[in-house]
Amino acid sequence: MFVTVTLSLLEGFLGTLRLFCLTLLFSLPLGLIISFGSMSRVKVISVPIKLLIWVIRGTPLLLQLLVIYYGPGILLQKNIWGSGDAGRFIAALVAFVINYSCYFSEIYRGGIQSIPVGQYEAGQVLGMTKSQIFFRVILLQVVKRIVPPMSNEIITLVKDTSLARVIAVYEIIWNGQSFIKSEGIIWPLFYTGVFYLLFSGLLTILFHYIEKRLDYFR
Amino acid sequence: MALLEVENICKRFEKTEVLKGISFTLNEGESVSIIGSSGSGKTTLLRCLNFLEMPDEGLIRVRGETLFDSSAPAGNTEEEIRRKRLHFGLVFQSFNLFPQYTALENVMLSPRLVNGVPEEENRKNAEALLSQMGLTDRKDNYPHQLSGGQQQRVAIARALALKPDVLCFDEPTSALDPELTGEVLRVIRKLSEEKTTMIIVTHEMAFARDVADQAIFMDEGVVVEQGSAVEVIDHPKEERTKQFLSRYAEA
Ligand SMILES: Nc1ncnc2c1ncn2[C@@H]1O[C@H](COP(=O)(O)OP(=O)(O)OP(=O)(O)O)[C@@H](O)[C@H]1O
Ligand SMILES: [Mg+2]
Repeated sequence: MFVTVTLSLLEGFLGTLRLFCLTLLFSLPLGLIISFGSMSRVKVISVPIKLLIWVIRGTPLLLQLLVIYYGPGILLQKNIWGSGDAGRFIAALVAFVINYSCYFSEIYRGGIQSIPVGQYEAGQVLGMTKSQIFFRVILLQVVKRIVPPMSNEIITLVKDTSLARVIAVYEIIWNGQSFIKSEGIIWPLFYTGVFYLLFSGLLTILFHYIEKRLDYFR
Repeated sequence: MALLEVENICKRFEKTEVLKGISFTLNEGESVSIIGSSGSGKTTLLRCLNFLEMPDEGLIRVRGETLFDSSAPAGNTEEEIRRKRLHFGLVFQSFNLFPQYTALENVMLSPRLVNGVPEEENRKNAEALLSQMGLTDRKDNYPHQLSGGQQQRVAIARALALKPDVLCFDEPTSALDPELTGEVLRVIRKLSEEKTTMIIVTHEMAFARDVADQAIFMDEGVVVEQGSAVEVIDHPKEERTKQFLSRYAEA
C-alpha cells in the first residue's frame, strides 16, 4: 500500500512541479517587464499596470483561478481553454503566471528603486550607456537585494500550486485526497506534506547558497 | 586660449533660479577652487558641466569645441551627451564606487566598456593610477573593505582612468572623518603639482588657497568674486566674501 501511495503521490508531485517550473519560467521575466511598466513616467502605461497589480494582489489567487477558468466561458459563451486536462492546466498556468508576475514585479521594483541614484550618476559620468549601467552596475546589486524576498515568494509558490485543484488540475494533494474515497484512508493526504517539506527544504538550501555567493560585496 | 570656457550658465529648478549666469575660464594645467555657502549652487554648476543637469542657458566650450550652447540647441541626443561627458570627470562627495567590483575593477570598468582599451593596457594603467593614489596593496579589495579615504582615492583613480580634460571634485572630503581628509587632500595636491586641470568645490579654505591657482566665491547662484586663490581667500575685496570667510575663520 505504502508503495502504491508513494508512486501515486510522486506522479501527482510531477504535476505540482510542472506548474511550479512553468510558472517561474514565464513570471520571472514577465515580472521584470511589469516592473518597468509600473515605474514608467508615461502615465498611460504606469497607471493601468499599477491598477492591475492592485487587483491581483488585492484578491485571492483562488478567486483568480476561478475567474480565469470560468470567466471567458460566461462572457464569450465558449470555452477558450479547450477541453480536458490540458485546457484546465493552461488556464491554471495563466492564472499563476499573472498572479506571480505581479508579486515579482513589486519585488523587482523595490530592488531597483533601492539602488542609490549615485550609482547611475557615477556610471553616466564615466560615459557608460544606459544599458551598460543597468547590466554592469545596477543588476547584480538588485539581484543581491531581492534574493531574500524572492525566495520567500518562490517557496510560497510551491504551496500555492495546490490551489490549482479548485479547477481540477491534478497535483499532489488531489492524488492524496483521492485515497479517501477509493480506499477510505486519510494518511496519504498527510503524507503529501513530506513532499512539500522536502522540496521547500531543497529550495531553501539553494537560495541560501545564492545568498552566500553574493556575500562578497555590500 | 583657455582650455575651458564657461559663459553665462543659468539653471532653474521649477521656479527657483539656482545658477544666475556663471562665467569663468580655466587654462590647461591650472585649477580653480569654488567656495561658497550651502545652497549657493556649487554642486549644480559641476552637475551642469558633467551634463547630469542640462543648463537652461549658457555656453560650455572645451579646447575651442562647443559642448553646449543654448542659443544653438542641437546635438543633444543621448549618445552625443554621453560623448561630451568624457571631457569632464567628476569625483562625488559620497564616492559612489561600484560595490560589486574590486578597487582595480572599478578603475578598469569604464575604459573597457567605453573606450575598448585592450585588457593588458587597461590593467597597467589602472594599476599605475592606484599606485599613484598609494593604493597598490588595496587594489583587490572591495569598496566595503576600504576606509572612506581609500574609497575616495579609488574614485579619483577611476575618474582619471578616462583621461578627462577637466577633473571636477564636489567636496571630496566632506563625507570623511577629519583624520582621513589629509590623505585625500594630499593626492589632489599632487595632481595639482602634476598640472592636472581641476575644478575643486571645497569647504577647506586653506586647501582651496594653497592648491588652486584661481578661486571663485559663489553666493546665491552668482559669482561674487574671482581671482587668484591667494587674493580671494586671504584678501577678499567684496563684502559678502569677507563675511563668508570670517564665519569660517571663527569656526
Ligand atoms: N534637483 C533639484 N531640484 C530642485 N532644487 C534643487 C535641485 N538640486 C538643487 N536644488 C536647489 O538648488 C540650490 C543649490 O543647490 P546646490 O546643491 O547646487 O548647492 P551647493 O552650493 O552645492 O550647496 P552645499 O554646499 O550644501 O553642497 C539649493 O537651494 C537646492 O535646494
Ligand atoms: Mg554641494
